[in-house]
Amino acid sequence: MSVETLKNEVLRTEHLTKIYRMGEVDVVALRDVNFAVRRGEFVAIMGASGSGKSTLLHLLGGLDTPTEGEVYLNGQALSKLSDDQITLLRRQKIGFIFQFYNLLPTLNAVENVALPLMIDGQHPSQYQAKVTELLHLVRLEGRETHRPDQLSGGQQQRVAIARAFVNQPEIVLADEPTGNLDSRSGKAILELLKKVCKEFRTTVVMVTHDPKAASYADRVVFLKDGQILNEIVGQNGRVPFEQIMDFMAALEA
Amino acid sequence: MHALWFIALRNLSQRKFRAFLTAIGVLLGVSVVLAIEVTNQTTIDSLRSVFDRAAGQASLLVIPSSQKDENLKQGLLPTVQSVKGVAVAAPSLRVNTLPADEAGDWQIALNLNGVAVGSFFLLYGIDPALDPQVRVYVLAEGRMPQAGRYEIVLPRKYAEEKKLRLGNGLILLTPQGTARFKITGLLANEGVALINDGVVGFAPLKVVQESFHLEGQLDEIAIRTSETISSKPALLEELKRSLQQRIGKNGDVVYPDSRGVVVSQMLATYQLGLSFFSIIAIFVGSFLVYNTFSMTVSERIREIGMLRAIGMSRKQVLSTVLIEAFVVAFFGSLAGIPLGILLARGLIRMTDAVITPSEEVFSLSVPIILEALAVGIGVALLSALQPAIRASRISPLEALRVRAKSDTKPAKAIWITGFCLIAFGYFVIYGMSWPEHWMFPVGSIAVLTIFLGATLTVTLAIQYLELISRRLAAKAYGSEGRLGSANVRRTVGRTTLTVASLMVSLTMIISINSVATSFKKDMGDWIDSALGGDLYVRSAVTMRQSFGNQLRSVPGVAVVTPTRVLEVRVAPESLPKDTLQNEFYLYAIDPDTFRQIADLQFTDAQADPEASWARLKRGNAVFISNVTAERYRLKTGDRITILTPRGKHSFTIAGVVLDFTGQRGVMYTSYQDLQTYFGESGADRFTLKVAPGYSVDQVAAEIESRYQKRRHISLQSTREFKQSVLNLVESAFRLFDVLGLIGILIGALGVVNTLTMNVIERQREIGALRSIGMTRLQVMRMILAEALAHGTMGGIYGLLFGFLIAQVMVLAMNLMIGYNLSYKFNWQPFLIGLVIAFLVAQMAAIGPAQRAARVNIIEAIKHE
Repeated sequence: MSVETLKNEVLRTEHLTKIYRMGEVDVVALRDVNFAVRRGEFVAIMGASGSGKSTLLHLLGGLDTPTEGEVYLNGQALSKLSDDQITLLRRQKIGFIFQFYNLLPTLNAVENVALPLMIDGQHPSQYQAKVTELLHLVRLEGRETHRPDQLSGGQQQRVAIARAFVNQPEIVLADEPTGNLDSRSGKAILELLKKVCKEFRTTVVMVTHDPKAASYADRVVFLKDGQILNEIVGQNGRVPFEQIMDFMAALEA
Repeated sequence: MHALWFIALRNLSQRKFRAFLTAIGVLLGVSVVLAIEVTNQTTIDSLRSVFDRAAGQASLLVIPSSQKDENLKQGLLPTVQSVKGVAVAAPSLRVNTLPADEAGDWQIALNLNGVAVGSFFLLYGIDPALDPQVRVYVLAEGRMPQAGRYEIVLPRKYAEEKKLRLGNGLILLTPQGTARFKITGLLANEGVALINDGVVGFAPLKVVQESFHLEGQLDEIAIRTSETISSKPALLEELKRSLQQRIGKNGDVVYPDSRGVVVSQMLATYQLGLSFFSIIAIFVGSFLVYNTFSMTVSERIREIGMLRAIGMSRKQVLSTVLIEAFVVAFFGSLAGIPLGILLARGLIRMTDAVITPSEEVFSLSVPIILEALAVGIGVALLSALQPAIRASRISPLEALRVRAKSDTKPAKAIWITGFCLIAFGYFVIYGMSWPEHWMFPVGSIAVLTIFLGATLTVTLAIQYLELISRRLAAKAYGSEGRLGSANVRRTVGRTTLTVASLMVSLTMIISINSVATSFKKDMGDWIDSALGGDLYVRSAVTMRQSFGNQLRSVPGVAVVTPTRVLEVRVAPESLPKDTLQNEFYLYAIDPDTFRQIADLQFTDAQADPEASWARLKRGNAVFISNVTAERYRLKTGDRITILTPRGKHSFTIAGVVLDFTGQRGVMYTSYQDLQTYFGESGADRFTLKVAPGYSVDQVAAEIESRYQKRRHISLQSTREFKQSVLNLVESAFRLFDVLGLIGILIGALGVVNTLTMNVIERQREIGALRSIGMTRLQVMRMILAEALAHGTMGGIYGLLFGFLIAQVMVLAMNLMIGYNLSYKFNWQPFLIGLVIAFLVAQMAAIGPAQRAARVNIIEAIKHE
């Protein structure tokens, strides 16, 4: 591996294995996964349900611990960190986007976006401008003081995206970000995600089972039975939809 | 930190109703704690103030010696005055009497400690020149009486009530008949005018001594010292010592408030009872707080998971929950203060069954308020701690789950622990013996342990009790009733705490009522047998014994027996070392006539009543009350040394008898011993038995017409007396009823809280039920049925533990006071308890049921 590659790498996994014990049976969710993501790259992880894609995302975000192997974020091995250190890492270096948005119902859009900074103890004056700018970027001008229940699903997800980027993370992890949206809103969200990702030169790892969503990525990684089967690297910032469909058809065959 | 406060406050504002309910729970708990603290302090301070007013600015008092039973001799005065450091030595004598015109209607006023303050007219014999230098006399009109003249000063308020004016005469009863005092001055409503609730008068010492045959005798010498001495404790102590040395065994030198402390011990048991209630109120309140925050956390698992995912640390999560608890508790506690003050005013008024409260004393102080605030906030934080810790342990992965975890089934360990705690509590109470000063704290903790254990067993019992409640609910609410009842199984933890808080408050109501019923029953039986007779004839001043013969000659009077009551002191060496109080009531009776009317119940297991009576009649013997026997560890056959006017004399204890007349020691002796050892005769009360064929009213009317004017006597039928005593007991327990109801109110808040939460949580389900055709009314009935299930379970538990705790309380009263109560089952309190449980639960459910009925179907089912 060249020095240049290493320098460009934000995220890397080595022999990542996760085994869940369900009663008497061991269920292997991930088996010896080796995979790396470059800075600024938009990677989609695809697979059927039960393929281990969500588990992989959890391990990448330090939400769960691997049975074997290691996750390196900026060269830092996550398993070496304490709970508090991982928490801090998530707060400062990782952004999350969830399928169900997970906004605080008690806070308005501005406050939800600012939440990670608030938790970090920053004063509103420090982040006010940044939050407003982000809300503009996700095209929510005029909705700043709306609560989640006053926003549509797509708008809520845009707030969630703004929240994920507010602390300028190294990497944003998105779990089926369009899974709960209609196709039009879903398309808008993916375009937005792509745009924000470019704008901030942020790495995005997105888990999805939707080939349309995956086609927005720079690279699509296919998982099956906890192992990486293959990957398609796109051109001009897109992976052709047809190519993904072909690969999936081959997978199922 | 700012962000945590921000998030916590937002959460609260989003769940205003729940926060409000929880705050009300804290508010009620704090108000009870504060009210009881203030009430207890006020009763003590009231008693103190009586002594303080009487003692005024005196720094030291000389009182009758505990070594000799006699009044102080006036001859001691020059000796006291001659001691260096004594600036003023003011002698005084106190006698109980009555204005002659009141004697006919006079009824002795009682409280549980004996005779109530203000029952008699308290006449002070004073030195008009010296006394104003030690006590506060504020003359509103007129002047002080002149030495040697039959003159008196009265509180102006008292004079106004009696329509007396300056220059009028006040005729007071004396052993010879009456004495007339000219009113020379009226006192403003402060200082000495507040003694004995204002039923007091001050006349020259000499004329009081003369009219009451107490020449040369004093009750007290109040001493005022120079300022340098009184302000320095060490110097004052030195003066006290040298004074004591000078007067030797002729008197005791004490600090003015020392007797207040002794008297306050009589209140101790009652106060402990009240304190226990404040613990219970807080206990029930803590359930409410715990339940609320448990719900808040369960409801927000996903949210907290997300916060953890985006970088909130465990400590920050913990702090957020605790900040919420703090805010709720702070405002709840703060609002509890005014309510507590109001409640205290009510409670103090209700304590007059135990002590006559002084209107001017209300012991509210900053430390008491701060203490109540601290208890409220502290308990709330402690109760929220477990939910907060649980919140901090929520994994960030929860944010990614599609559905949050719901209330899980209770672990076996929980209810097993519950049974163990109950068994442990019982063992501590019944299986072990504790020293007296440990009984209250250990007993309280044991009862709380039992409650906690009972709470934990609810987790298991729910599944069985629900089968009962389901039948009831089906009867009351049909098929939606069955549905509603079954719902309580879905949130076991929440149901458990709701049932538990209903249980605890019901248990208290049931057990207090059971104890009161047992108490009244035993007391009624005792009055019937021990006091006996049909009619009492009393006078505020001692009557001649020969008056009994005259009473006997009244047609319809079958038997007359006299009773004389003396206050005597027991030689300290014949009591246990730590005894502070050595004053006893000595009842002199005539065994022969007494036994024709009444009967004493001997409490010794092997007692032979005939032998005991024979021993008493032989002389040189006393019966002691069971309370005395218990407190001073005395038994039949022991000897007790009493300070008689003829010196110390040792009496044989001929028997231990049941007695309910207050907590002061009580002894009985024969008239023969009264004359031999105390040189006393006369009667304070004659008890009459009416012959067959005559009515009590008829005989009473005859006695009144013959003697009332002349003898200043008052009559009361045994029935009336019994009723008045039972009313007294009733009112003593009423206080606890009020507190029990507050407990129930907190329990009701728990029901509201739980049901509201259940309704919110099941919006989607309720929407689905509505969409498949359930009417709004049916939805309401379903929620009411759920509350019915809470009520049934709380009721059944309350009945069971009410029965058990009532017996513990009877035991506690027997152990701590020395009573000989036995628990008697009475279905009434249980029925009342059950009705309360159902009513409270149903009423509390109305709000949540309406809320459920209003659920919008579309909104509910599209809700994620």
